[in-house]
Parts: sequence; structure tokens; C-alpha cells
Amino acid sequence: MTQYTIRRLLVALPSLLGVLIIVFLMVRLAPGDPALLLAGEFADAATVERIRERFGLNDSMPVQFQRFITGVVQGDLGRSTRTNRPVTQELIDFFPNTVELAVAAIIFALVIGIGLGIISALRPNSWVDALSMILALIGVSMPTFWFGLLAIRFFAVETPIFPVAGRGTFAHLVLPAITLGLSSTGIIARMTRSALLEVLGQDYVRTARAKGGAPRTVVFKHALRNALVPVLTVGGLEFGSLLAGAVITETVFTWPGVGRMLVTSVLSRDYPAVQGTVLLIAVTFIVVNLLVDLVYGLIDPRIRYD
Amino acid sequence: MTDTPAAVTEAPKERRRAPRWRRRLARNPLAIIGITIISLFLAVVAFAPFIAPYLPQTQDLRTTYLPPGTGVSLRGPEGQFGIWVSRSQRSPSRGIEVDDSAAYPVKLFQRGPSYKWLFGLVESDLHLFGVDGPVRYYLLGTDEQGRDVFSRLVHGAWISLFIGLISVGIGLGIGVPVGAISAFMGGWVDMTVQRFVDTLLAFPGILLAIVLVATFGTGLTNLMIAVGIAAIPIYARIIRGSVLSIRNREFVEAARALGRRRMGTLVKHVIPNALAPLIVQSSLQMAIAILFAAGLGFLGLGAKPPQPEWGLMLARGREYLAVAPHVATFPGVAIILVVLGFNLLGDALRDALDPRK
Repeated sequence: MTQYTIRRLLVALPSLLGVLIIVFLMVRLAPGDPALLLAGEFADAATVERIRERFGLNDSMPVQFQRFITGVVQGDLGRSTRTNRPVTQELIDFFPNTVELAVAAIIFALVIGIGLGIISALRPNSWVDALSMILALIGVSMPTFWFGLLAIRFFAVETPIFPVAGRGTFAHLVLPAITLGLSSTGIIARMTRSALLEVLGQDYVRTARAKGGAPRTVVFKHALRNALVPVLTVGGLEFGSLLAGAVITETVFTWPGVGRMLVTSVLSRDYPAVQGTVLLIAVTFIVVNLLVDLVYGLIDPRIRYD
Repeated sequence: MTDTPAAVTEAPKERRRAPRWRRRLARNPLAIIGITIISLFLAVVAFAPFIAPYLPQTQDLRTTYLPPGTGVSLRGPEGQFGIWVSRSQRSPSRGIEVDDSAAYPVKLFQRGPSYKWLFGLVESDLHLFGVDGPVRYYLLGTDEQGRDVFSRLVHGAWISLFIGLISVGIGLGIGVPVGAISAFMGGWVDMTVQRFVDTLLAFPGILLAIVLVATFGTGLTNLMIAVGIAAIPIYARIIRGSVLSIRNREFVEAARALGRRRMGTLVKHVIPNALAPLIVQSSLQMAIAILFAAGLGFLGLGAKPPQPEWGLMLARGREYLAVAPHVATFPGVAIILVVLGFNLLGDALRDALDPRK
């Protein structure tokens, strides 16, 4: 396991470095003077000069990159040109909200997705199976923003059960979480179905049945436990994507998370904030994937030896 | 060895039938639905100016936010069946006013605004349907500038198709050669390329496209390139897996033993055998690209007004969801239908091309 962990960590490091390089290059490759981009369009000449000085934009690229890395490690991501607050502070304020939304969404997706998948797998090729798999496919094909708007229209405007936007109570969380979790629900449902069907065809399940195990026990105790291993892996990976997928959902519901911060920053060309949010989302994604892999290696020892 | 003669005599019979994957596809009802949706979509793109009764940019500020069916009745003045349209307009104080004194029939193959088709080669004013009279028929209602939502949807269809095609094209054109060469060469080349692919994959979902748009600027062209680049790592990964599983098979070794060069073997023997997953991915990628592009359009990072891009139309409709929900509803229906079509086809292709079944 230790060897597997080390190997997996070593694979993640280059990705991390690559993300840093891309985020670093974003400002340098964008058309225009990087100092101007980092200072914001309304900055005066002195501020631009100060930024140029501070980020050493006249130095060579490797020197600049080294300084960028040092800044990132020390938690210094510059100041947002829009709010004039340190980007790190903004991220600390907004990130927990995104995590809250993503956790709610993945819980919804796991519960409904696994449920649909089980229903389908227990009656393969029946109309129940067809219906739930079509629902799953619609979930995957649904544009998040459109579903969000429909949800707002029907459940917040026409029948005001839930608030239209914002964050605060549990009621605020319901519509955004369902919206964000919808496509993961579809993916998890399809995954559960195929994994469970595969397991149900295995010898040990047949043995359990032959021994006279109650159908319910066989399915839930013998089959489902094994089928859920890949499903939970997919769930973990989906959770990572949800953090990024929140970009659209947060915009639809004006949810104060990093996704909305990213969109506002891109639209107002607030480059320090764009860099900070992109870095945070990508690094979180890498870390979540790493954890999923490690947990997978822990519960399924076969995976460590490939 | 007794099998051999039978196999030889049966071979020509096999050849006359359609390939197995095509027969499997034809038997799958979901595949038929997917193919039908995609065919309709392609037809809409190809004949857009003919299908749409009006031009996408024609505004009329007297007819803003008209819901579908405004001023429409299914009986004519003398009780005839058909679709009859009366003049309707929105007055700032009294809401929608319908002038019932006169109704005009909607007819097929009606003359309307003239348009150029096939890159300007054909000029015509014939439309699939239109009103025989001095009023307009808004099948799906109008938007905030009194433009016909249906015509805009039809005229905007090509944008979605193009984004999908460009994304698949970039994925196939860059991702496949990069991934294939990397896997085939192995060693440090493979290591380097894979770390690069890993880095791109570290940007989940739509984030990579947002990063590229943020770097190189918003707009339709950059959006298409961004969504395309986001497809590269996926294709590189898929082809790599296929190549690795095929690389050491006997027929590849045989080709090498016969003196074929490495690149020759790759192009002639390895890649054709890895085609199935690429075909499946291309169908799914069309769906993903269309969703991404609409999402970016919705966020204001893609197409710019007044382009009739579906995501952008939806975003505009969002602002007056309470007054005119139809404006945001129909672009969404269009997106989900097309995406569903490509997903259905992709799924069905995966089943049909799966050699284990």
C-alpha cells in the first residue's frame, strides 16, 4: 500500500506543476501587457508600474515563474482588481460555500443514482429499467443552466416553495444541489446498473442463491457491496467535477462560491482572481482524484498491483 | 481442420449482409431515435433559411415577449380548419392586444424575406411556411426585441453543429496522433506526453475551456477552439489505451517482422484497430462540446449578441423568466434534444461495436 501511495503521489506531482505552469502562463499569453492585466483596466500608471515591479514582469520567464511559485506557496495570489482584496482571502470566504453545494449535490446524486441503478438492474430489460435509464440519460444530456432556470421558474417563481437565489437556509440549498447533481445522478445510475448486473452474474452470487439465501439478502448483502466499489469511485471523481461544474450552477442561483467568483472575474478581466480560482479548483480536483485512488486501493487490494 | 471448408463456403454469404455493428444498430430502438434526432438537426442546419420563416435579426419592438400562440386560432373566419393568425402587439400599458377583425392563414411554401443559401450561391424567398397576409406567425413566440424565437433557433443550429464538429476535429486531429505516437514509441516520449495530458485532465469539465477563453478572449471562434482543445486529452487517452493493448499483438509483430516501418505499422495496422472507441467518443464528444459551448454562451464567455447561439439565447431569456418564460425554455429544449441525440447514438455505437457481445 505504501508503495502504491508513493507511486500515486508521484504521478500527481507533475499534474500539479502543470497546472501551476498553465495558470502562470494565462496572464503572460493573454493579449496585452501582463502588468496592465494584473493591475486592472482602471489602474493608474503608478499602480501598473508597482505591479510590474512587484511581480518582476521585466525579469526572465523562469525567474518570474519561481517568484510566482513562491507566492503561491506562501498563499499570496495577489489582489483582486475588482474588489481590491487579497485573492486568498476571497477564496477562503467563497470556497466553503462551493464545497457545501458540491457535498449536497453528490449526496443527492449518490442516493438517487444508486437507487435508480438498483431498480434497473433488478429488472433488466423491463419497462422500469428502460424508464430509469432514459431518465438517467436525460440527466446526463440536460444543460445545467436550463434545468436550473426551469427549477427556479416552477419551484421559486410560479409556486414559491424555494427561494429564487442566494445562500443561507437549507431551503436555499435544495434547488442548486439538485441542479448541480443532476448529471452525476445519471452517470452514477448507469454505473450502478452495469456494475450490479455484472456482479449478479458472478458465481458467488449464484452460490448464495443456490444456498437458499433470501433474494433481498443476496442482492443487498452479497451483490451490492461488491458492485458499489466502482460506483463509489465514480462518485468520488464526480465530486471533483462538481466543484468545477458549480461554475454554471452558482451563476444561475447567484450562489456565493468560487465558481461564480471565477465567472465574474473572467468577465471583468480580474486576472489575479481568475488565476486564484482556477488554481484552487484544479488543485482540489487533483487532490480529490488522488484521495479517490488511494481509497480505492485500500478497499480493493487488486488495484495496487497493476 | 474440418471447419475450414465450411468457413470458406460461408464467407461470401456473410459478405452480402450488412456488417454486424450496423445490424445491431438498426435493431436498437434508442439508436434509431438518436439517429432520427441527429438527422433532423442536420436537416435544420442545411436548410435553415428555408425552414425559418423570418431572418434571425429582424426585430419588431411592438411585438416583444409574445408567448407562443398569441393571436393564433385553429379555425378561420368562416370556420375552416387550419392555423389562422391575427395581428397582435404588446402595448406598454395594456399588455398584449390582439386585433380580431382580420385573420390570415398560415400556408406551406410561402414567399417571405429573401435569403442567400449555400454560401450565397442560391438566392430565394421561399420558406417552408409563412402567413399569407400582412402579419407574422411566431411559432415559438418572440423575445425581448420582438424577434421570432423559432427562426433564431433554426438559424443558430449551425453554431452548435460547428462547435461539435470542430471539437471532434481537434480531438481527432491532434489528440489521436499525439496519443498514438506517444503510446507506440513508449519510453520518455510517452512519459512526457502523458504528464502533459494529465495536466490538461486536471482541469475538470468546463474549466479548461474557461481558462482558454479567459486567456485568449471571449467570442465564438475562441470558444470553438477552447472546446476543441478540451477534447484533446480525452482522445489522447483513449487512443493510448487502444494502442497499448494492440501494440504487442501478433499481427503488429508480423507487420514489423515483414520490414514495415514503425510509423507505417502504426497508421496501417494499429490505428484502424483502435477506431471503435474513437467513433463512440466522437458521438459523445459532440454532445459534450454542444453542452460546454452552450454553457459558456450562457455565462457570457462565448458567442456575443445578436448571434443566435442557443446558450446565449437562454441567458438572455433568463433575465425575464417571470414575464416570458418561453424565451428561455425553447433554446433549452433544442439543446437537450440534440445532446440527447448524440448521447443515444454514442451509447448505441458502444454497444454495437463492442466485440465482447
